[in-house]
Amino acid sequence: MTVVVGYIPHRGGRGALDLGLQLAHARAEPMVVVTVVPRQWTTPSLARIDAEYAEYARQVGEEAEKQARDYLTDTSVSVATSYRATPGRSVSSALVAAVEELGASTLVIGSSADGPEGRIVFGATADKLLHSSPVPLAIGPRGYRSVAAAGFTRLTCAFSDNPASARVVARAGELAEQLGAPLRVASFGVRNATMYPPEVGLTAEDSVLDSWAAQATAAQRQLVDDGIVAADVPCVIGTGAGWVESVGSVEWQRDELLAVGSSGVGPLARVFLGSRAGKLIRASPVPVLVLPA
Amino acid sequence: MAAPGATPGLMAELFRRKPVRSGEGGHAAGEHGDHLVRTIGTFQLTMFGVGATVGTGIFFVLSSAVPEAGPAVIVSFVLAGIAAGLAAICYAEMASSVPVSGSTYSYAYATLGEIVAMGVAACLLLEYGVSTAAVAVGWSGYLNEAIRNLTGAELPHAILAAPWDEDPGVINLPAVVLVGLCMLLLIRGASESARVNAIMVVIKLAVLAMFIVVALTAFQSDRFADFAPMGSAGVATAAGTIFFSFIGLDAVSTAGDEVKDPQRTMPRALIAALLIVITFYVLVAFAAIGTQPWQEFEGQSEAGLAQILQNVTGTPVWATILALGAVVSIFSVTLVTLYGQTRILFAMGRDGMLPRMFARVSPRTQTPVQNTVVVSIVVAILAALVPLDYLIDVVSIGTLTAFVVVSIGVIILRRREPDLPRGFKVPGYPVTPVLSVLACAYILASLHWYTWVIFIAWVAVFLVFYLLYGRKHSVLGRERGEETGR
Repeated sequence: MTVVVGYIPHRGGRGALDLGLQLAHARAEPMVVVTVVPRQWTTPSLARIDAEYAEYARQVGEEAEKQARDYLTDTSVSVATSYRATPGRSVSSALVAAVEELGASTLVIGSSADGPEGRIVFGATADKLLHSSPVPLAIGPRGYRSVAAAGFTRLTCAFSDNPASARVVARAGELAEQLGAPLRVASFGVRNATMYPPEVGLTAEDSVLDSWAAQATAAQRQLVDDGIVAADVPCVIGTGAGWVESVGSVEWQRDELLAVGSSGVGPLARVFLGSRAGKLIRASPVPVLVLPA
Repeated sequence: MAAPGATPGLMAELFRRKPVRSGEGGHAAGEHGDHLVRTIGTFQLTMFGVGATVGTGIFFVLSSAVPEAGPAVIVSFVLAGIAAGLAAICYAEMASSVPVSGSTYSYAYATLGEIVAMGVAACLLLEYGVSTAAVAVGWSGYLNEAIRNLTGAELPHAILAAPWDEDPGVINLPAVVLVGLCMLLLIRGASESARVNAIMVVIKLAVLAMFIVVALTAFQSDRFADFAPMGSAGVATAAGTIFFSFIGLDAVSTAGDEVKDPQRTMPRALIAALLIVITFYVLVAFAAIGTQPWQEFEGQSEAGLAQILQNVTGTPVWATILALGAVVSIFSVTLVTLYGQTRILFAMGRDGMLPRMFARVSPRTQTPVQNTVVVSIVVAILAALVPLDYLIDVVSIGTLTAFVVVSIGVIILRRREPDLPRGFKVPGYPVTPVLSVLACAYILASLHWYTWVIFIAWVAVFLVFYLLYGRKHSVLGRERGEETGR
């Protein structure tokens, strides 16, 4: 098994390399840095009209490899790393093809550069992968940097009260063992806005949130009772007026990883992100690993 | 309250009161406890009141009320407005003396006891649930009018009217569709913000102002010659019907926690909102009666105001604008009242008065989905099958009774717990609450006998349900039971 890093030079690529290295090191797996380069036209042409273009594509691949190599030689950990440039018309489908060809365990990508530092931002590629990746997809916040040797200090699994989510928690438990990190279960609730005019008072939604929190706590306890997680796994509830506030209301460690299950609506055994999970990921202060439901 | 170790008697059980815990109705695990920041000023509060009130009834109440009182319906509007205003002031004191924010149900539970709270809840189900149905029925009339004027297409009458209407149809389909749409929005957690509310207020007032101006061009003073053909009894009966259109004024009172300087702001905003609303209603009624003999209002239940504009001007332009304004603003009213209904039942579910299902929050949408679906289905059935006239009167009787309970509650609380800190005190105590009770009782006494029968039967069903279910499942009762070692 390998960790595949989707690498685009300059554009948030370093964050992906850092996260990939951290994951590969913790799981003692080799890492493959994949750069998707423009594909040439396969129609034969006597005049070789696309020769310059082919040259350009080759250079993009070489440049990317060189940059990644330069960066990775500085690191303190030794992970068997190989590089490849895959031609493809779409970055996401080329990455998926590479993942399937290499039999990868995880696909790692970085955040788009158009967004606030420290937040996970989906570009078009990330958005497509979040709905099509055949393997767990890791995505780091913009500008993510890690000390790979430190590994992960904790794996938090986002949990919502339903059977699919319980299965995700079980998978996250196995993953935490592989990563050598303790597991934590967290549920996040968002307080709905008050309806105006406030005919039933301005705090009606607080009691809805209270009820939700009580139900989530009970569901977390049920995880222990069902033997899905050990009794000593900490369970937390985050609440707030929005997703950022809700996620921010629980404490986070520096080298933590958040595992989120994808929706069961999409095709089987693929990552397919639900709308709420998408909001949760955008609010996360730490890298996120999206697991297929 | 029962002494520890003793078995509480039946009366103590029925009148047990929910203790007010500090921090209740506040915050979950998060630390966003800053919601007590007082931010609402007089203007915003007035807008809440106007926004909650205008639109619930004025668009379709005339066709029911004018035949009951004749041109004197204008007096009925003032009478109903004064009663609603007095009650809302009492409501404000009740709200401010209980540091939980919530509906009348929560206040009654904390101050007057469990069984009274259940009675109030029965009234509130009429005020919110049935009024949602009534408003949805009214919406369908204006939607039909707008579609007909804009496209020329005529919807078949069978899907526009209830089977027991004067002009019977099969089902009121647009009303059902409206309730369904609102249900989906609520399940998704949509909410109407203060800004949307302000926009809706402007739309409603603008179309009503347009109506007044256009209708006054066809004003004939001799329409008022036979001013009160039904006498004072008719005026009171019409006031009961009209009372429906003042529902929502109590929204001002429920915002108490967050109002700046409530002792000054609250009565000012209430009176300002009431004056604006009464002025608009009276002008609308005055202008409408000036256009046609009062006998002609009967049967004009569908899109009444739009029809009047059509008759006056001879072109469908004004009628269409009014119908569109009504369609938009009634949609928002339906959303808010349906929301209010689900949250009242939610509170009751949490207290164990209703099956826990009503307090269950969907983990996916984080809204009370089952509750919303049940409420919407019941409301949709009412809206599909029951004619508007019956719905309106039942809403009024429920609201009036709830207001009477609140006004009496203010007096009881002042006597029982005179030292309770109150953010707002009724000016002119004890005259104001007594007047409020008298005004409401006067209107109540004039309602149709069949309204009373429906109402009493409904409250009786509700109280029997309480005695059989809520009394035993009450969370409060169980907590007390544990304390006393039962």
